[in-house]
Amino acid sequence: MNATQGEFPDESPDPDRWLDDHGDYLFKYAVFRLRDNTAAEDAVQETFLAALRAYKEFQGRASERTWLVGILKHKVVDHFRRAGREAPLGEESDEGPEHREFFERPDPWQGHWNNDYAPNEWHATPAELIERSDFWKVFNDCLSPLPERTASAFTLREVDGLNSEEICDILSIKVNNLWVMLHRARLHLRNCLELNWFRREE
Amino acid sequence: MALKLYDKLKHSIRYWLLKTLPTCQQTVETISQSMERSLSLEERIKLKLHLWICAWCQWYLEHLQIIRETARAKADEPPDSMSGGGLSNEARERIRRRLTNHS
Repeated sequence: MNATQGEFPDESPDPDRWLDDHGDYLFKYAVFRLRDNTAAEDAVQETFLAALRAYKEFQGRASERTWLVGILKHKVVDHFRRAGREAPLGEESDEGPEHREFFERPDPWQGHWNNDYAPNEWHATPAELIERSDFWKVFNDCLSPLPERTASAFTLREVDGLNSEEICDILSIKVNNLWVMLHRARLHLRNCLELNWFRREE
Repeated sequence: MALKLYDKLKHSIRYWLLKTLPTCQQTVETISQSMERSLSLEERIKLKLHLWICAWCQWYLEHLQIIRETARAKADEPPDSMSGGGLSNEARERIRRRLTNHS
């Protein structure tokens, strides 16, 4: 450790304090996107190690947390990229459940909503949902059964707001695959949230 | 009498549109695409007409928008969605040791 630490806290990195001040935040950020504790812990550790190496470049240019989150974002994307390379999307690969049963009907209205799965009014606004930690538990549980890449595509699009081109590059997929994945993720998640959250709330 | 006739006419138009337009199954796919790219004029008209007569697909669209808005609001403020929120004590200690060895 540097002898000047304490006197000039701004000039030497203090990983112990980083961990106390930002560890939980960074972990939550990572686990929300990766949905895997071990992968999220690794991403946090990698972030701190990279921060130590790059400390000279930082030196108070942004807030410490903004700087660390900036590094973590790259680590999360690296994780998705690795997963995409390790398992290239084959032609027969699973983009997610089609949920044809949602549109199966015994009457001549085949292809229209089956009454058991048809959307119903949600009595909630985003502002209310954001505050409910139990909502996010259900949200996460609803994403979990999806194929990993489909869930990742959904997160990159709907949480981080990346565009199609960026997501296709990260996940090594074509834009048509991406649109199918996003559609299936939405179909699945919407139904799952309605069953496990909105109907229960009533 | 006139009201009854109007209702009948409305019902017939609705029936005819539902038979003519893309099904709900096709429409929800278009709804998802509309969040990714700009739709063609034909797609837009068919979607508008379908939504005009189908409350279910209206809700579907509204729900996808709620999901997007809610998820984006959490981009900078991650929720305690798993593991009760923070790092486990083991993970914290493991990372602490790793960082100490490095500095």
